[in-house]
Amino acid sequence: MKYYLLPFKFTRIGDHEVFVNEVGDMLHAPIGTAEQIVNRTIEDPELYKSLVANFFISEIRIPALLDVYAERLAEKKRFLDDYTALHIFVLTLRCNQNCIYCQASSRDEHCAASSMSRENMRLAVQHMFKSRSQYLTMEFQGGEPSLEHDLFLYGIELAEEINQTEHRHLTYVLCTNSINLTDEVMATCKQYNVLISTSLDGPSWLHNQNRGKQDSYEKVVKGITKAREILGADRVSALMTASELSLNYPIEIVDEYHKLGFTSIFLRALNPYGKATDNADWEAYTNRFIEFYKQAFEHIIELNKQGHVMIEEYAAIILRKLLTPWCTGFVDLQSPAGIVNSVLIYNYDGYMYASDESRMLAEENDFTFQIGKLSESYENLVYSPKVKEWSKVWNNEAIAGCSDCALQAYCGADPVRNHSTQGDLYGFRPTSLFCKKNKAIIEYIISCVIDRYDELMPIFRNWIR
Amino acid sequence: MKQRPLDIHSNDNTLFTTEQCNNHCIMCCQPPRKIDDIDHYYQQNIKRVLSAPKDLPLIALTGGEPTLMGDKLFSLIRLIREQLPNTEIHILSNGRKFADPEYAKALKLAGDNKVMVGVPLHSDYEKDHDIIAGSKGAYNETILGLYNLAMQGIAIELRIVMNKLNYMRLPQMATFIHKNLSFVTWTAFMGMERVGFADTKSTHIWIEPIEYIPQLCQAVQLLDDFRHEVVIFNIPLCLLPEQYHPFAEKSISDWKNKYTDCCEQCRLKEQCCGFFATSTQLYTGIKPY
Ligand code: SF4
Ligand code: SF4
Ligand code: SF4
Repeated sequence: MKYYLLPFKFTRIGDHEVFVNEVGDMLHAPIGTAEQIVNRTIEDPELYKSLVANFFISEIRIPALLDVYAERLAEKKRFLDDYTALHIFVLTLRCNQNCIYCQASSRDEHCAASSMSRENMRLAVQHMFKSRSQYLTMEFQGGEPSLEHDLFLYGIELAEEINQTEHRHLTYVLCTNSINLTDEVMATCKQYNVLISTSLDGPSWLHNQNRGKQDSYEKVVKGITKAREILGADRVSALMTASELSLNYPIEIVDEYHKLGFTSIFLRALNPYGKATDNADWEAYTNRFIEFYKQAFEHIIELNKQGHVMIEEYAAIILRKLLTPWCTGFVDLQSPAGIVNSVLIYNYDGYMYASDESRMLAEENDFTFQIGKLSESYENLVYSPKVKEWSKVWNNEAIAGCSDCALQAYCGADPVRNHSTQGDLYGFRPTSLFCKKNKAIIEYIISCVIDRYDELMPIFRNWIR
Repeated sequence: MKQRPLDIHSNDNTLFTTEQCNNHCIMCCQPPRKIDDIDHYYQQNIKRVLSAPKDLPLIALTGGEPTLMGDKLFSLIRLIREQLPNTEIHILSNGRKFADPEYAKALKLAGDNKVMVGVPLHSDYEKDHDIIAGSKGAYNETILGLYNLAMQGIAIELRIVMNKLNYMRLPQMATFIHKNLSFVTWTAFMGMERVGFADTKSTHIWIEPIEYIPQLCQAVQLLDDFRHEVVIFNIPLCLLPEQYHPFAEKSISDWKNKYTDCCEQCRLKEQCCGFFATSTQLYTGIKPY
């Protein structure tokens, strides 16, 4: 047998060897196959044909269809052509809750000093339109952004005005705890078709405990109901964050989402930022989260089998990367990383930051990912020496550990996380908990696809669409 | 080859362009011949287009290989567009010529959004495709051709004719199409017509449909899972599991259908494609519903 190896990676998952090519196409075969491939002793003729057809090996040195392969890679990385699409506006740090794991290091709601000035809002909106993306998402965060209704409205009006000549597709998202959805806020949301993204951690006792208030759950559910009535059910989504306490209640959390009529849930782990860094042992947390994820995932599968619609969003993202040829825009699992490439933050303090996590580090006086003052030019900010420095470490194709990892095509790079948890941008994969969590969950999803294809595919096909 | 008059009531209005082909497919129902017939058919087709009913819904260009006409293909298409502005033009081609991006571009210029190209793919593995197409290098040119057509935004019907040499890889082919050719408008799986080369070499390539139904269904399911359009032609309904009946189309050409005695009592006869009128033998496993 004479053929050439093309770049591919492999790993062992369960009883299989899993092979992944440069564009994320996956093949699996019995243990020992990698050795056969390398030694030119492939036994299974159909596997041989699949390896050739799917760009794992080539019968001539340069594959005749190299351009086809290149085009496929370009499609997978299409988000780079699209440029920054997600623009986060942190209106204020003021908040009306006191969550035990608050990732934004919120201030008391009556503290005045920590909100964005109108001038900075104007500069921020102008920067947003410098991105050449045809799709711009303006996401309002806090603290609790609904406490700054006038500023929120001002930002939207500015964007609408500029868009008269720019003609981009604008999407507005309000990230709120839903406690303060006043008629005023709702009227603005209605007028500009704003999506509501709210936080909901699970059943009332769990949610209230996490949020540090007795009646938070009731208020949130009331807010969700109101927002659904005014804006429509499809305009309201919820996000959960798994506190340490939450990890004991995967079933209850999923059931709560189902009970409240949500058709999707994003099983999200805590990030080591803000007050959350005080949480004890992160390694133990990560291990427990992985188990939590699997239990919740299996329960979601059960709901689907009973005929209910419930999508687990993290799995859906991995499945799209794994099973489709299309680009998947998700800033937390991207290479090159989401920072700057896909997301920019305009903070209440008048500075541009690289990501949501970056501005949270700043609250702890770590300004590593502060890009610069909003009053500087877009070019000076986005093409600054700092950003260029980051670009050396934001590809997982090019950093040790990831560069030969079979899951690379499905995973992402996160220099901010490397910095905050390991003290350097480059990171060290063997002890990285980001790596550990992603690896465990992605491998779990791959084993679902391989071992339970007929059982799960009818469900997954609805998640991917 | 005698051409039938273009008829508005028929669903098979064909302009036959040449008997020549740059492939030599083992199951070709129009085995290519090396004769200089392009001008002859070209002149004939011009007359046929000029006298065609003005509201003809569809006209098909076949051969042989229509792209061997070179630029005459575009003159013919321009004439059709001029004379029959509402008629859809379906070109049946092996796609190889479109490996030249300029040729694909010229087709777009001539046909704009009125043309669709039907291209057969025999395997996802180069050498299997080339063996079935009877020509080395066919696969690579066809795949590049498909990409160039897609780059021009030209609609593509991908055709897979099931035979003994390719049925084992139908599911792998479906994955390949999903991953590498996801831009095609639809994929058509077609039962083989048992004439032409197909009969003389029949032991080599003929396979009873009933034997490849599992692979066929798996392939159809896979494409449907990822929301690609997919159709099945020329497979009698009684050979297909019921859940795949919605994918089955009655026929490509109305004059090609025939039925057997037991079809008379079958309640699905109206929807069923039956058999090729030209086929010399019936399929195994036929039973009325
Ligand atoms: S972070 Fe870990 S799982 Fe992800 S690509 Fe890198 S080594 Fe692989
Ligand atoms: S490409 Fe078409 S016309 Fe040419 S040999 Fe093959 S089946 Fe026949
Ligand atoms: S019995 Fe005849 S008409 Fe009925 S499904 Fe079979 S082939 Fe079709």
